[in-house]
Amino acid sequence: MPSRPDDGIAPERPERGPAAAFLFWNRRIHYFLGLYFLFFTWLFVFTGLLLNHPRWQFAQFWPNRVQTTTEHQFQGLTGGSEIERARDLMRQLAIAGEIQWPAQQSGPLAFQVSRPGLVLEVKADVERGRATVQRTELNTWGVLHLLHTFTGVRADDARNTRDWMLTTVWALSMDAVAVGLIAMVFSSYIMWYRLKAKRVGGIVALILGFVSCAALVAGLRWLA
Amino acid sequence: MSNRRFYLVTRDLHLYIGLFLSPFVLLFAISVFYLVHGLSKRPAPGPSDSARTVANLSVNADIAKLQGRARVDALRPVLEQLDVRGEIDYVRHAALEHRLIVPVRLPDRDAVVTIDYEQRTATVTSREHGMGDALVYLHKMPGPHNADLRGNSGLVRFWRLGADATVYLLLFITVSGIYLWVVLRAERRVGLLLLFAGAGTFWGLVYAVAA
Repeated sequence: MPSRPDDGIAPERPERGPAAAFLFWNRRIHYFLGLYFLFFTWLFVFTGLLLNHPRWQFAQFWPNRVQTTTEHQFQGLTGGSEIERARDLMRQLAIAGEIQWPAQQSGPLAFQVSRPGLVLEVKADVERGRATVQRTELNTWGVLHLLHTFTGVRADDARNTRDWMLTTVWALSMDAVAVGLIAMVFSSYIMWYRLKAKRVGGIVALILGFVSCAALVAGLRWLA
Repeated sequence: MSNRRFYLVTRDLHLYIGLFLSPFVLLFAISVFYLVHGLSKRPAPGPSDSARTVANLSVNADIAKLQGRARVDALRPVLEQLDVRGEIDYVRHAALEHRLIVPVRLPDRDAVVTIDYEQRTATVTSREHGMGDALVYLHKMPGPHNADLRGNSGLVRFWRLGADATVYLLLFITVSGIYLWVVLRAERRVGLLLLFAGAGTFWGLVYAVAA
């Protein structure tokens, strides 16, 4: 249903009463969340598209990676647990990032340190005090890909938990973007429902959306 | 088109497309919590149903020699005989045992089909997944892995369209939202402040995490 020219271009002004204040702030929160999370939303939306189209040549990053291997000496490691020794080794080698343990650990101390755009494979001979670091640097597309998936946890891998503070901060920012999007969806429902002239068209759009989504989710058995 | 007309059309499109898109946005946003915190393993997956074995299958004689998408396509009629539906994740060939092990996935259910292509028998084990795991699966599909195989079922082919449409429409929603905000002169100052604050937070975090 098209807008009438006088359909409130100016923002609503607060009237008296909690309901009016709620509606005023609901509208403002919709704008404010959208503007604050704009760059985060663009990042996750755009990288989601890239992840779903791995054949797009312009966004290839793995074939263009730069790998170097270096050897280092280190002092005896402190700490009783593997994670403490790994952290001490990382401190001595001046590297930082999220530690990923291999599925099976045997022999030397071996782990991966990763952050978006950089993967370090560390293998340490603790007795001889020597470590080999294989450094894999990715291009900007690789950084973008990994920003989308950099959570530090996997559902089926209890051994690897978040252990880098910046991974936690990034994961919380992902949560915040998700909360922001959910809040924007519900605030939009309230704003739309207040526009009487748009109710019918809005209900049609909403039902079409829910039916499409439900058909894709619940009806996938039939499509499969 | 006059500026005012353009504004009104953009505002209507922003509203109606936003409402249409909202269930998809909710689906992707809610699944973020499961993904970011590794929650999808709880409470799913549930215990396996009892396995069933089916004999006298019609199996392509060259199925063991085929590779990649050709093998997946040859497996599809076998899965239909077994009444197993879903996206084939990958195929593992145990050549010494003359078996193909084929995990097949629906959002809320998975099945592992073990086909003995010499005996023409298959064993099917399946189990249910919870809502969280189903959302995570949809969030990740089709994804960057096994690109040659992905989209071997109608499920993922259609979902790929849904996911892509969500992205393009969400980009339209953000751009049209910026335009609508710019028109609202009264909100410009605080909006600019939040836009810069958001940009600062974003670039600061990206720099800290990736630099």
